[in-house]
Amino acid sequence: MFTHIFCNRLKCLLRDKENIFWTMVFPVLLAIFFYLALSNIQQGEVFQSIKIAVVDNAEYQKAEHLKTALNEAATGKSKLFDLTHAAREEAEQLLEQDKVAAYLFVEGGRPKLAVKKSGIRQSIVKSFLDSYQQTAASVNSILKNKPRDPQQLLNSIGDRRQYVVEVSGTAAEPDSVLIYFYSLIAMACFYGGFLGMREITDIEANISPLAARINVSPVHKLKAFLSSMSASVLIHLAEMFILLLFLRYVLRVDFGSKSVYVVITTITGSLTGLSFGAFISALVKKSEGIKIAILVGGTMTGSFLSGMMYLEMKYIVSQHVPLLAYINPVNLLTDAFYSLYYYDTMSRYLLNIGILGFFIVFFCACTYFIIRRRKYASL
Amino acid sequence: MIVRVKNLVKRYGELLALDHLSFTVNDGEVFGLLGPNGSGKTTAINCILSLLEYDKGEVEIFGRPMRPDAYDIKREIGIVMQNVAVYNELTVYENIDYFCGLYVEDKKLRKRLVEEAINFVGLKDFKGYYPKKLSGGLLRRLNIACGIAHKPKLIILDEPTVAVDPQSRYKILEGILELNRLGATVIYTSHYMEEVEQICSRIMIIDKGRAIATGTKDELKAMITLGEKITVESQHITPGQLNRLRALPHVMEAEYKNKQLVIKSGKGANNLEAVLDFIKKEKIQYGKIYSELPTLNDVFLEITGKQLRD
Amino acid sequence: MQVFKLCLRVLKKNIPSLLIYVVIFLAISLIMALAHTNEQEDALFSPSKSNIAFLSAEETPLVRGLKEELGKVANFVELPDDAEALQDALFFREVSYILRVPEGFSERFMNGEQVQLEKTIVPDSFSNAYLDLKIDQYLNSARLYVEQIEDLSQESLVQYLKSDLSADTPVELKTNGVKAADHVYTNYYFNYLAYSMLAVLILGTSALMLVYHDQDLQRRNACSPLSPGSFNRQFFLAILVFTGLTWFLMVIFCFLFNFKNLVNINAVFFVANSFVFAVCAAGISFLVGNMVKSESSIPAVCNVLTLGLAFISGVFVPAELLGSSVLKVASFTPTYWYVAANNRIAALASFNYASLQPVFSAMLIQAGFALAFIAIALVLGKKRRLE
Repeated sequence: MFTHIFCNRLKCLLRDKENIFWTMVFPVLLAIFFYLALSNIQQGEVFQSIKIAVVDNAEYQKAEHLKTALNEAATGKSKLFDLTHAAREEAEQLLEQDKVAAYLFVEGGRPKLAVKKSGIRQSIVKSFLDSYQQTAASVNSILKNKPRDPQQLLNSIGDRRQYVVEVSGTAAEPDSVLIYFYSLIAMACFYGGFLGMREITDIEANISPLAARINVSPVHKLKAFLSSMSASVLIHLAEMFILLLFLRYVLRVDFGSKSVYVVITTITGSLTGLSFGAFISALVKKSEGIKIAILVGGTMTGSFLSGMMYLEMKYIVSQHVPLLAYINPVNLLTDAFYSLYYYDTMSRYLLNIGILGFFIVFFCACTYFIIRRRKYASL
Repeated sequence: MIVRVKNLVKRYGELLALDHLSFTVNDGEVFGLLGPNGSGKTTAINCILSLLEYDKGEVEIFGRPMRPDAYDIKREIGIVMQNVAVYNELTVYENIDYFCGLYVEDKKLRKRLVEEAINFVGLKDFKGYYPKKLSGGLLRRLNIACGIAHKPKLIILDEPTVAVDPQSRYKILEGILELNRLGATVIYTSHYMEEVEQICSRIMIIDKGRAIATGTKDELKAMITLGEKITVESQHITPGQLNRLRALPHVMEAEYKNKQLVIKSGKGANNLEAVLDFIKKEKIQYGKIYSELPTLNDVFLEITGKQLRD
Repeated sequence: MQVFKLCLRVLKKNIPSLLIYVVIFLAISLIMALAHTNEQEDALFSPSKSNIAFLSAEETPLVRGLKEELGKVANFVELPDDAEALQDALFFREVSYILRVPEGFSERFMNGEQVQLEKTIVPDSFSNAYLDLKIDQYLNSARLYVEQIEDLSQESLVQYLKSDLSADTPVELKTNGVKAADHVYTNYYFNYLAYSMLAVLILGTSALMLVYHDQDLQRRNACSPLSPGSFNRQFFLAILVFTGLTWFLMVIFCFLFNFKNLVNINAVFFVANSFVFAVCAAGISFLVGNMVKSESSIPAVCNVLTLGLAFISGVFVPAELLGSSVLKVASFTPTYWYVAANNRIAALASFNYASLQPVFSAMLIQAGFALAFIAIALVLGKKRRLE
């Protein structure tokens, strides 16, 4: 009997295109969008060369070191700037027409910057100039203090070193983009709620005539439910694995040494999503439309409070209403993922997984007590 | 005795849906439950099947009390619900196989049963179709096939012909009789009196959750005073004539409306003759005269004072 | 006007579900726009001080000097040097940057050895990059002294650096009276509209088109004495009215929350640009409506299309951060041009032909897209009718 119901259920679920779309295709598509939008940041080639103009007048020609520095920054394969030499009015016009992000001019021997707005590119130009001036100040003061080897000094200026190295809990390269994909996996887990919801719809005779038909058959209701639910669990886990494999091998998202934990978390999340959907469906005795609205609304609210759309929200909640952070299953799941990123100890991770486990048991138990009833007050 | 229902009471809040309903269904019968919409037919069926909680009463099937976990009883019941209940993702064949599989585990036997059910409802050419592609009538037939494929001893059909074209309806009714001939006991609910009259060997009329009459169709018709309804098409009848007509023996009612004289008379052999004599005597000009025997609607009308279908 | 009235009735029936979307989208747009306004794009110009933890295994003049220098741009939060506590602090955002100075750092640095500081950060924060720059600048300059000057004490090194690093580049903001920053919120809000308005329009229009394309209804309509032309015109009119209303509602919302920044010429261009995009979005919706076959596929198509366009055209992630190949693909979509025009409008300081020209051409391109979508939709619709 188990195999009979289980296999037919698999068939049903696999043929339900809408269900497959939302629980698998949609997260995969979102992953592709994330990838397209974020891959550049991930690969570190954030900046295309920035177009700037420099006012080419006598004062500029006198500032030889600035000229050298600028020219150096404006040559080579991964050059920082696209440099245009222009007269003052011309530069002004270029800026006006957004042909350049900024223009610089020398006044009183010091470089100055003219911008129209203060964006990322303008900030980079300013940092460059700040750095130039500060280095120049250092060089001047060194030259006044009997340097060991003035020739070497110039080389040293060009050899800028990075003095800060990032370390993180994971052995993998720290990767901020990972967090977005964790959110995505969490969301996909909760889409499993739709599967859980359908299972209840198809077993509760007061919701669907189909369920009534199964209720009058000589099969134990819980046995029928468990057989059918197993199919949903299998399908959703398979979908989540496909998503993980897609992320790992197609989009080359590196989960680092914690891949195993990512898988464990995904399984836990998938079960939470499924049992959450079943729980909502069993609890709310209203039409399917309303149930879906509640499930989607609940998940969205949970996601919002866990910072999936606006990261700060998570911290506002954990600061002001910490309890809410611990009873929001979406938050627990994203936290479990984030803790893989931030922590090298596992205690917070295990805490989150533990609470999620409790939620799964809670949702399942409630669902059991609601659907255990065999007779209905009304159909 | 296949089914025995005793003093079934079901309340929905204030509404009394079943009011001490009692009846029995005997082996080999086609038992009809006739009543207008909202009379409690489906509620009664759902209570019998232990789907619904009821406030009072007993239900026995095959001589044993019916309960949600009485699987040995459920195994012998086939149910065709009012609403089409099939999986949209499964084909015609797969749907029947699925539901049959809930009753019959043996795969070989099941294969045969499913094929038989498909032939039985005439869906042979539609085996691989998904329910969405089927027309209303064919969908109803699939619904029936899903309920009866496992060859149950007791088949319960709840309004299986609602919104079905005449051809499919004929096929369905014929099929039900065929199942009955093959040995199944049938409980059939409908608000179409013609259908019930056509196939049921015993009929129970219910209204507002109460059984108001039970018996064969002839027994039911015998219960009421109305024996015959005579209609005379005539251009002109005076009130005096109408009054004299009403005084005739056996005549219970006489109305003249829209150039039609309708006379309802009680039981008796010579009603039509008496009316014809009267018309001759009064020299009434008439176009057509015809006489009808009472229908179940008349039975319902006389007992409840309202039409079966409004 | 029977058809037109019918369409409005269908839309009216869909108002509750559409309104849910409008409200959700408006809420998201508002939140995102507000969030980005707080984030202050010019974080590098006048950065708000971020909270950092400065953990040093040694107390030397060099480290003190570094800490002092960082104090200009960061607040120090005292944290116990315990892995779990530090990670908690990052996790709950008490600090966004933890800098760790290893034991013996100063000595090795003064000896000219290769040394590094360790940081643990909350990813994706502008202020982090700024802190990195500060630290690198400090230590790079320090290295020059160490390499060149003999017997340099840490104390005098710090003194030198202190005066060197005070150098700052003056910036002239070339705006004609209006401060550019005023448009940050408006810019984000209108960019977000590319997502929200398109979604609402697709949902509404598709619902309408499904009724229109219902085969039985279509045949019945074909039998009526109404010419197909008149039929289509009324239908179109209904879509345009719906588009207009949606556009109006969403634009009004921006004014309600941001009125003081919208009393300028830039706002006129924002509104005009969004209107052109609305027409284009109506064209997309019309095309989508012509292609969807079932009600259940509407939200699927709608979500994929709107999210996909938004992601690659710089609605969610600023276009300057997107890869060039992504942008190349995106330039074949109207959303890209809409967002590009918005960003230009936000930067507009004067309104002569030269500065407006790119805005106008972006609008023209959108209008071209609109025409193309409608034309394709009409061809497809005709083909479908005859199927």
